[in-house]
Amino acid sequence: MNIIRWSFANGIRRTRWLSISSPIHRDLNNPLLFHPSQSPLPSNNRPLPYNLRALSDKTSSSIHDDVKPEPTQTVSQEQQTEEEKKTNHDIKDDQTRVLQAALEHVPTLGWTEAAMVAGAREVDLSPSIVGAFPRKEAALVEYFMDDCLQRLLGEIESREEELSNLVFHDRIAKIIRIRLEMQVPYISKWPQALSIQANPLNLPTSFKQRAVLVDEIWHAAGDRSTDLDWYAKRTLLGGIYAATELYMLTDYSPEFRNTWIFLDRRVSDAVDCRKTAQEAAQLATAIGAGIGNTVQAFLRRQTQ
Amino acid sequence: MPITSPALLHSHATSFGFKEVPEEEKSRMVGDVFSSVASKYDIMNDIMSVGLHRLWKDRLVSKLSPFPGMQHLDVAGGTGDIAFRVLEAIHSLERQRISGVAVDEDAEDETRVFICDINPAMLDVGRRRAIAKGLGEARSLIWMEGDAEALKFEDASMDGYTIAFGIRNVTHIEKALSEAYRVLRRGGRFLCLELSHVDIPGFRDLYDFYSFSVIPSVGEIVAGDRESYQYLVESIRKFPSQEKFATMIKEAGFEKVEYENLAGGVVAIHSGFKL
Repeated sequence: MNIIRWSFANGIRRTRWLSISSPIHRDLNNPLLFHPSQSPLPSNNRPLPYNLRALSDKTSSSIHDDVKPEPTQTVSQEQQTEEEKKTNHDIKDDQTRVLQAALEHVPTLGWTEAAMVAGAREVDLSPSIVGAFPRKEAALVEYFMDDCLQRLLGEIESREEELSNLVFHDRIAKIIRIRLEMQVPYISKWPQALSIQANPLNLPTSFKQRAVLVDEIWHAAGDRSTDLDWYAKRTLLGGIYAATELYMLTDYSPEFRNTWIFLDRRVSDAVDCRKTAQEAAQLATAIGAGIGNTVQAFLRRQTQ
Repeated sequence: MPITSPALLHSHATSFGFKEVPEEEKSRMVGDVFSSVASKYDIMNDIMSVGLHRLWKDRLVSKLSPFPGMQHLDVAGGTGDIAFRVLEAIHSLERQRISGVAVDEDAEDETRVFICDINPAMLDVGRRRAIAKGLGEARSLIWMEGDAEALKFEDASMDGYTIAFGIRNVTHIEKALSEAYRVLRRGGRFLCLELSHVDIPGFRDLYDFYSFSVIPSVGEIVAGDRESYQYLVESIRKFPSQEKFATMIKEAGFEKVEYENLAGGVVAIHSGFKL
């Protein structure tokens, strides 16, 4: 949980700085952090159902408070809080550096304390610092998930042109693929990461990370709905994502070709399924209208 | 006592149990206590804590999460209780890894656990136990006499620092803490296991009765030394509360300071990182 908060904090630091020159970064770098109401851009006007917003607020509520521009705040006060935050920030930064370095050892050592110890050695900190992560390996997996999300958002931003040229279901499939490809270097150890995420202690965080990820994918694909459909869509996409992720574990085709075919089919199925449902509804209305007409006509004839 | 001699003019009174004694005296008196109980130390610990002290020490070491290649300093650990556990934890990590990936051989060889105690009698007990455990020749165990307030180690040379049931007997706790901070590397961890304060009403009364009525008598019967155990229970009451001690650790420069009460506060594990 803390890790998320740090990476959010890092994000804010960056966005805050960037927002001076280009407000657009504020939106694109870290859309999670801003309420639609606070957004400087109309494009960010992305309604979220309240439960998820509350979820993300919970982890970053204090940060939110800091971010809200307060014109009345004097400069000296701001400097002071900056300084206070800085000491805090440095500590977290050390831990983030350890996790970053540890990721390089994951392919050989797995998602383990040993990888974290190796990471700490690399950044020239005493490996005892691993004790500062309350849930050890889970912190590493969670850091990776957050890191991937940030990279995914960056990718989506930089490939906006390419993505907007694709039809809807191809766009979704493409984004999922970009995200899953980040797991390729760790694929042999990924089952271990999944089992860590499924640990009851870690489940709340991993569930939230996945919810946020799926939400980001829908948002990037251009979904702006606010109705009940919202839940259905996210559940559906969560299912597709998880299924593909699992398929990938046992896919030995070159460059995971079969995985991407599998993914394309699942996404088309889902889109088709929605279309089929809509068509069925239309058909039902048509049939209903037809029967109604016949009955009406029949009754009319009877009464005449 | 005539306070006329120049040495005593500059001396502050410090506590030895409930008694006020000059600072110069305390370390000698503590030394006497431990010299006199060293031989019965283990059995007394078992009796007094009903065997719980073993679990508390296990908990301390599991918090430390030792790793191969660690440079660890255990202060006031003459009997080796913590040191043996640290080594055991490292060995079991290594055994786990044998089947898996290649182990960093150098890292294994570099593992060092330094046991530093001010009292030679306690160190002797520890050395004997090391031999009994087959660790007599272990290169990774280094026994040395030394004062927690003036450690003979270089700055930033240690990954971990533990002190179990020891800091209470140090004359200047602040000095011991700043020494701990000095010898640790960045990222290194400070852990302190110490008898602390019980705040739960009812249990506290029971605990007080046990400490003041039972322990000194047991001390007299088993170790033949009532005074030393009287000192023990008094010094526990004189030790700063969990919160206060945590503040002292922060003041020494440690970050992420936290503590955990065990057995309702009978003992507490304080933890901090040098960052």
